[in-house]
Amino acid sequence: MSAPSAVRLTGVSKRYPLLTRRGRLHSLKGALLRGDLWRLQQERDGFLALSGVDLEVRQGETAAVIGPNGSGKSTLLKLVAGILRPTQGRVEVNGRVTALIELGAGFHPEISGRDNAIVNGMMLGLSRAEILHRLPGIVEFSGIGDFIEQPVKTYSSGMYVRLGFSVAVAAQPDVLVVDEILAVGDEVFAHRCLDRIARLQRSGTAILLVSHDLGLVEKLAHHALYLRQGRPVLVGPAGAVVSRYRSDVASEEAGVQVASGNARRWGNGAVSLDGVEILDAGGRPVRLLSSGEAAAIRIAYTARVSQEDFVFGVSIHREDGSHVFGTNTELDGWRPARLAGVGEMVLEFPRLELTPGRYVVDAAVHSRAGLAYDYACEVTSFTVSAPVGWLGCYAPRHEWRPRGPAMLPPAG
Amino acid sequence: MGVLTSLYRQRGLVAVLVARDLKARYRGTFLGYLWSLLNPLLLLAVYTAVFTFVIPARVPGAVPYPLFLFAGLLPWLFGSGTLLDAAVVLPDNGPLLKKVVCAPEVFPAVTVLSHLVHHLLALPVLLAATAVAAGFGLVRFPWTVVLLPFALLLWVVAAAGVSLAVAALAVHFRDLKDLLHNLLNLFFFATPIIYTLDMIPVRALRRVILANPVTPLIQVYRDVVLLGRVPSVLTWAWASAVALVCWVVGAWIFSRLRETIAETV
Repeated sequence: MSAPSAVRLTGVSKRYPLLTRRGRLHSLKGALLRGDLWRLQQERDGFLALSGVDLEVRQGETAAVIGPNGSGKSTLLKLVAGILRPTQGRVEVNGRVTALIELGAGFHPEISGRDNAIVNGMMLGLSRAEILHRLPGIVEFSGIGDFIEQPVKTYSSGMYVRLGFSVAVAAQPDVLVVDEILAVGDEVFAHRCLDRIARLQRSGTAILLVSHDLGLVEKLAHHALYLRQGRPVLVGPAGAVVSRYRSDVASEEAGVQVASGNARRWGNGAVSLDGVEILDAGGRPVRLLSSGEAAAIRIAYTARVSQEDFVFGVSIHREDGSHVFGTNTELDGWRPARLAGVGEMVLEFPRLELTPGRYVVDAAVHSRAGLAYDYACEVTSFTVSAPVGWLGCYAPRHEWRPRGPAMLPPAG
Repeated sequence: MGVLTSLYRQRGLVAVLVARDLKARYRGTFLGYLWSLLNPLLLLAVYTAVFTFVIPARVPGAVPYPLFLFAGLLPWLFGSGTLLDAAVVLPDNGPLLKKVVCAPEVFPAVTVLSHLVHHLLALPVLLAATAVAAGFGLVRFPWTVVLLPFALLLWVVAAAGVSLAVAALAVHFRDLKDLLHNLLNLFFFATPIIYTLDMIPVRALRRVILANPVTPLIQVYRDVVLLGRVPSVLTWAWASAVALVCWVVGAWIFSRLRETIAETV
């Protein structure tokens, strides 16, 4: 069973009214008498920052929003945080939202860290008593120490953001909205932030994050949404979406048109994937495998142009988007000189140590810089069966061995 | 009303923000909260000196002019100070509105309440000065002062209403701040603060001043706090109507523009 939805966006668009000098004075009367200012946003004037976005984040899931600057990522976060209203569509959020859009935003410089923590905490929906109760934890986590009693204007910028982060996560949000802030503080604190985020993930907090750190996105997020000029390009498992974005960035840098393709498959076609198959121990194409047996993934390709710079990659994930395994020829240190003509690439697993369930495979061939020649998401899938319904996704060979007083099977 | 329920739900936050404003205001000063008492005291001293020795001024009746002026000036400063702050309170708290999720109506309310606290801190100066004057036999101590909470309530309701409107409008129309300065100046002289209605020589002008909606508010306040008169039912009704209309119209304007505040501020 999948967890209940924490955030759901349905056909969301956001249009900012363009404010001209004349427009403002002009609308003073209209704003009051006819509600023009409000209606202006429903109409066609203005800048369309976001259009037709659908996204769902379930409890305990993490979704990332990626894309170039000005693609509407922050607007999306603000819509979820409730700071902005959508012009069209619906934004549904279940539970308490905490927005980490700018850490320590709204701290008053003249008053103490403690008082600022109280104000910020109350804005996040805590009561005064709750914050005072959590304050020692906040001070401890932020590493502010005795400075908590000093006015915030005496803080270093690092202390400022550390306190901001600590207060925000202390609120135990149901939905956490994070805008590019994990790169704050020193290395130690950055690790503690990530650790804290992982703990929130486990406790069921739905996280929506915006980051240009694609490595971080792959590490933290289950799903990702790739936006470009306010429109969704691709929604799917984080690995695939990040690859698509990397590929687009690489093509832009190379001065090529952004790769054509649809949401499931893209690339410039210099090398194409002709077929991806799952093979069993006997080398026969199958869709059903037994846990612990040998298996392989066979990729058939055609290189239209002979290539020297190429990487084959495979990624396996669950249907809910969680990443199970991913590798590529570059990672495994396999560096052939040249690719030409028609051929096959086989990735062999002597033992496929997976728990029972359905798995989806992405396959790709791209340049070392990430420029996709052919990237196929969910190109095939397979089901693993096992005599026992183990949990998780890794199913190593294992055995229980009791030591100590002999345990007897229950009578009867 | 939407604004009122929202404010009631967030009364804890409002209280904390008022405390923050007060703390921040005197942070680092040597005398701290004493300034709230000292400022009006020094003001009263200056007025007494000027209007006793430089321009000897009188108002009809036995009340010393400096006291008369002071009793009108205190509520006026409360009202005008609140409005001037309300015009900038939303842009000032922009980060909280845009980066942290926060209901915008909280801020005009905080402005009104923190000015009210300052007003309440200044009030003992007026009462003490009146008591001293009564001690010298210049006036009788106004026991009508027990009605002051009602007069103050009308001021707070009116100031809150206009503040809501000013705060929301100033987000969209920055000119409002300068406009407000001049309007307040005009109203200061169009309200019987430094004079009484009887002192106006032209009858038509007296009518205009009487029609000024701030006039009944000032009258109610000064009657109970200094002159020892219970205002007539008509004055009470007129002042209450002004306060109510201010609130209803202000809250309406605010809720009309509420959704646009966070993205424009």
